[in-house]
Amino acid sequence: MPPRLNVWAACRALSIRPRPLSARPPLRCAAVPVRTFADSTNTTNTTPAVPASKLPEGYEDVLDSLHGSAPKSPAQPQEPEAALQQEPEPEALKPELQPEPESQAETNESEHADNVLQALDKLKMISYGLNPFDPAVEGHKYGLPQLPLPSPMHMKHRYDDVVVQLTKLIMRDGKLSKAQRLTKDNARRQDMAMILNYLRTSPPPKINPSKPLMPGSPPAAHLPLDPITYITIAIDSVAPLVRVRALAGAAGGGKALDIPVPLAARQRRRMAFQWILDVVEKKPSKGSGRGMFPTRVAEEIVAVVEGRSGVWDKRFLLHKQATSARANLNYKAPPRRH
Amino acid sequence: MSASNCLRCCLLRPSASAAAAARLRQGMPLAAAVAASFSTTANHSANAKPKPGTRAAERNAPPSIRQGKLFTIKKKKKNDSGARVKSPLPGERKAFRKRILLSNTNALPVPGLTDLGAESMLDPSNVCKVLSLPDDVIDQLRADEAFKTTQCWSMFRKPSMLIRTETVDLITRMHAAAKNNKTLRLVLTGDRVTGKSLMLLQAMTQAHLNDWLVVNIPDAQELTTACTEYAPILDTEPMQYMQQNYVLKLIQAIKKSNEKLLLKLTTVFSHAGLPQNIPIKSPLMQLANSAKEAEGAWAVFQALWQEMTAQGHGRPPMLLSLDGLTHIMRISDYRTPAFNPIHSHDLALVRLFTDHLSGATSLPNGGAVIAATSRNNAPRNPSMELALAQREAEQLGGGKDVPQPQPYLKGYDERVEAVLRNVQVIKLQGLSKLEARALMEYWAASGVLRITVDEKSVTEKWALGGSGIVGEMERASLLTMRF
Repeated sequence: MPPRLNVWAACRALSIRPRPLSARPPLRCAAVPVRTFADSTNTTNTTPAVPASKLPEGYEDVLDSLHGSAPKSPAQPQEPEAALQQEPEPEALKPELQPEPESQAETNESEHADNVLQALDKLKMISYGLNPFDPAVEGHKYGLPQLPLPSPMHMKHRYDDVVVQLTKLIMRDGKLSKAQRLTKDNARRQDMAMILNYLRTSPPPKINPSKPLMPGSPPAAHLPLDPITYITIAIDSVAPLVRVRALAGAAGGGKALDIPVPLAARQRRRMAFQWILDVVEKKPSKGSGRGMFPTRVAEEIVAVVEGRSGVWDKRFLLHKQATSARANLNYKAPPRRH
Repeated sequence: MSASNCLRCCLLRPSASAAAAARLRQGMPLAAAVAASFSTTANHSANAKPKPGTRAAERNAPPSIRQGKLFTIKKKKKNDSGARVKSPLPGERKAFRKRILLSNTNALPVPGLTDLGAESMLDPSNVCKVLSLPDDVIDQLRADEAFKTTQCWSMFRKPSMLIRTETVDLITRMHAAAKNNKTLRLVLTGDRVTGKSLMLLQAMTQAHLNDWLVVNIPDAQELTTACTEYAPILDTEPMQYMQQNYVLKLIQAIKKSNEKLLLKLTTVFSHAGLPQNIPIKSPLMQLANSAKEAEGAWAVFQALWQEMTAQGHGRPPMLLSLDGLTHIMRISDYRTPAFNPIHSHDLALVRLFTDHLSGATSLPNGGAVIAATSRNNAPRNPSMELALAQREAEQLGGGKDVPQPQPYLKGYDERVEAVLRNVQVIKLQGLSKLEARALMEYWAASGVLRITVDEKSVTEKWALGGSGIVGEMERASLLTMRF
């Protein structure tokens, strides 16, 4: 169905004569702060802050005149100053509110031409089936932001959760931006961005079926161009499910009793990445210079995904130990004696 | 005579030296003491060793003297972790650091990407387009060491570059100079990561595409930081110095990058004093090949230079380029035999470049001498900064606004000012938004930038990159933790 042509609406853009807006939102003033002593010229106006609904009638008129067309003389009474503090109007409405400057033939001509062009644009939009007065488009250079703001738009959540956690594990001496490698500094050796970049440029991993990755992980060919998924899958796949807690003296005779304890996702990732970092610390680097630590970390991550890494053995050992210790899960600590 | 038993031993260890003490008292020698002991047992049986474990053994055991603990340092086993990896051989680490990757097979091939042609960079309609380098030119540029490790070549399928308005400007000037048999003398300057080295690469690409001879000094600091050997050249006043090892490397680079031309061109002069006899009308490649060792490399280079710039023998135009201009505009780290510092311009190879840059010598077959400044690794150089600022202001036509030297600042260098007195300057700044958009579209088409490229995102990255500084835009959109 063709869109309903609203010629009247299109002509609104042509309006040269400013007039009070028909669709002006109702006046909402939560409180009109009046500076009794500061506004020394206005001695009569000593009314306390009143809700808008209870404002005296005069205020309405004054506000109307303020938004209205007539250019005001400098000798305008001072009351509206308080009223100016009402919530700001949308940007789009402002140009129409301002009083016209002195009419000059040339500017009027060009303005007129502009307005005609705008109106034509709007008519064109109508013919395309778009709403020319869509509030998301009208008066905003880049449209209105999507609400609620998506997570990466928030300053504190702009990076992926896993990446943030790993970056903080790489960090030394509390120097986060060095760990992120977002600043320029030659003396650093930690860097998350470089790790991700290495993963992007390394060839797709050859996945070893005996060391299966997380179920539901994308095919290997998709991984390099999505380095965050790459690193997340590597870490999650090799992360242990439990840790074994040694309960001192619980096995009798002063011996410790091993009890498996489940880990939360964040704890699991931390453990896995610490294992990876342990391996990386002991590896000699192939080259020299600032990019070597991230290169080694990234190499180890590729090794994990390809099933070559020694970290898998650590995981298997731990799981084995936990399986044999699961008989101890029934252990109940004896009540404390005071 | 010193006592045979030390007094301290007697005092501290009485059990060990009871007999000795008695001897001392009696003033008798040891053998006499044994012989005169009161015993009815035969000497032999008395000295017989008792069976171990018996009481007699215990009784007869020597008094226990505990030996003090010896402090020994155990040797630590190397690489105890079990991960036995062969460490890299000497030189391998540096090679790994300096290696240049020009392709990423993960990146998507960009549809509609065309190769550069001989005239592509002259055409203003190619501005805001990304064009790729032809394969043979890539090899030549590799030989020239035109690619840098800090550039993002390793992220894309094929080395490609954006044609900027400045590119067309530079290439047009080069073209015009070569057409009129003149030498373009130009300095590329600008802030950090604005693409100066890449502009130099574009100039080299153009030269290779149009069959120019290209001589490139990839990093000027190698010449002046005293990291390569030097030797005085005899009969020069003031004394000049040659750097034969570097020159040998340079000849090899020239050979590799200009292979086709050197095979085609033939010698027109006879050269004495070369390691080999090169007859007239032998190909220039043979001349270049005669430099096998550092010794004699300078003579070969001079001969080669003379041949390459021979006038009236159908020699092609030449591009002489250098990156890191600041380093050759200062006093070098080399010293004379009298241990006085050597000015960079007294190094013969540097002198060759500066003479051409200043216009004291020109390239007879036309061409260009282009130098690029470096902002990352650059010593302070007030004369060069001032000269470049002055040239830039003069080009803009500002009579009063030409900066003047500060009267109380030391460290101005007349020789530097003389070299840069009338060079052209192109100051690189940020990209325009259209250029930025073209670049970002290329990134997105390669699959490296995973966002929608629209006006909003272009403006965002353009602003994050300090009004379109291209390196900063790369850092903001390619080298981040966000994708």
